[in-house]
Amino acid sequence: MEEEIVEVVARYSEKEKYVVFDKEFMPHIDSMYNFAFRLTNDEDDANDLVQDTYLKAFRFINSFERGTNAKAWLFRILKNSFINDYRKKSKEPSKVDYHDVETTYNSTEDAEMDATSDLRTETVQDMIGDEVANALNSLPVDFRTVIILCDIEGFTYEEMAKILDIPIGTVRSRLHRARNLLKEKLKSYALSMGYKTNDFESQEEEI
Amino acid sequence: MKQKCDNQQKCMKMIQAVLDGSASAEEVEHFKLNMDACMPCIETYKLEKSVKEAMQGKVEKKCCPQSIVVDIRAKIGLALLLLGFIFFEVKIFHILFSC
Repeated sequence: MEEEIVEVVARYSEKEKYVVFDKEFMPHIDSMYNFAFRLTNDEDDANDLVQDTYLKAFRFINSFERGTNAKAWLFRILKNSFINDYRKKSKEPSKVDYHDVETTYNSTEDAEMDATSDLRTETVQDMIGDEVANALNSLPVDFRTVIILCDIEGFTYEEMAKILDIPIGTVRSRLHRARNLLKEKLKSYALSMGYKTNDFESQEEEI
Repeated sequence: MKQKCDNQQKCMKMIQAVLDGSASAEEVEHFKLNMDACMPCIETYKLEKSVKEAMQGKVEKKCCPQSIVVDIRAKIGLALLLLGFIFFEVKIFHILFSC
């Protein structure tokens, strides 16, 4: 991030800084807050993270070129602030389930398919928002991040690569793994709540 | 119609890219030509689409509290005020002691 926000020559007058801040940055504040909240799972941390990000954006506003992708630029600052500051001092201990991560990263392709093929489309459609949000929140933060950026915020792979500072190929792979793990979480949740899955149906047939 | 897909993982990645609007022209073409002939790919497409739609439509989007917007504006305004004050001080100092 530092290379992105290093102070460059004064691009804007004091008045212009306010105009850019209001017109280009402030319209994204709800998306920024939502992203911060989904990363931290804590309203106070999300408040602090958004404030820090906007103050940093104003401080380094000269390195932002008007007319370019302000939302991606802001998301990149927020993501880096989260990694550098909040991840370390988060009130909530990391929810990373290392077994999940290890399984997902190391799984063979066949195993990944087996794990997810028995979640039914209808089951996902029947789920309510809290159930879907719980499954999302239970993902390790790196996986949660790509799903939020792609599915909730609608960034392209290219934009995500810039925000996360990783190659596009890594974005694709990470999304693929994140979705497999998400489907696994949704399936477990569906089973625990008594939704029908293909597992459930095959058990019924055996009886 | 094929009942078994030989490239399920590869196809799933391609289907996800198509749904995400980030597939290459080549992938979109391959998807259009082959999708209807493979049952597992059709099922995968439906499931991936439903998961993506659930993320888009069912997860609550939190809005930024107005108090945070007010705080940010106040802090930026204050910073500018301080900057202006320092600038003014320097100017005065310069006028007083430059002669």
